[in-house]
Amino acid sequence: MNLSSENQALIDSLVASIRQVVPQTVTPGEAHPVEDAVALNDIGVMVGITGDFHGQVVLQGGDAAFGQLGASMFGMPLDGEMLHSFVGELGNMVAGNAATLVAGIGKRIDITPPAVMRGQLQLYGFEQGFRIPLTLDPGGELNLIVKINDQGVA
Amino acid sequence: MAKVLVVDDAAFMRMMLKSILVKGGHEVVGEAENGAVAVDQYAALKPDLVTMDITMPVMEGIEAVKKIVSSDPAAKIIMCSAMGQQGMIVQAIQAGARDFIVKPFQEERVLESIQKLVG
Repeated sequence: MNLSSENQALIDSLVASIRQVVPQTVTPGEAHPVEDAVALNDIGVMVGITGDFHGQVVLQGGDAAFGQLGASMFGMPLDGEMLHSFVGELGNMVAGNAATLVAGIGKRIDITPPAVMRGQLQLYGFEQGFRIPLTLDPGGELNLIVKINDQGVA
Repeated sequence: MAKVLVVDDAAFMRMMLKSILVKGGHEVVGEAENGAVAVDQYAALKPDLVTMDITMPVMEGIEAVKKIVSSDPAAKIIMCSAMGQQGMIVQAIQAGARDFIVKPFQEERVLESIQKLVG
């Protein structure tokens, strides 16, 4: 993996944020470069980042993993529209808390409202980004996908 | 008991807040999914208190706080946002918000904040 220390700090902040937001034990795997389109099978959320960093963050996983997260965080099983809304809010909370964490190292970021994606689709433009698998215990697998553009480029 | 306007673009979060508020003996008199709707709803419903998200489409929360407070300087608004960095809190308080709760929030923290503001 070839990342500048600043970009690594953003990714570390995102992983730390997920650990803060999610009540389960979260074990991150090794970061892999994204070499092709990102394939989405179930559900995911994308949040844009602006400010001292520019890029996109995607949190992607299965209905079961997100549903269990919702149940553990808010005490009720979620499906349909409420599951979509929860996934969007989870993206918002993860990126928002990461913004607070990077402020601690003197960096300012802002985030866009989350966009929830559902079904089979491919996301292009994430080449040179990184995918970090996350194992939730109890729960399942989520993927954190981060694309950081050259700084100053929106 | 307070009459509360809940403002958040996520239906899920509005549902969570409503559940907490009703459990705490408060009445949710309205919901808004963005700041622009919140400004209109505030004028129409005149709630005792507003919970306000920040990152929302159409009009974000801090802008909505400024507009509500400019028409009613006594407005009691609690920010409920995932963006908890110090600069954001300062901006919200300067805009006229009375408290700031960082998501994900605890039920007790929400009710305690409302209690402080409306007695």
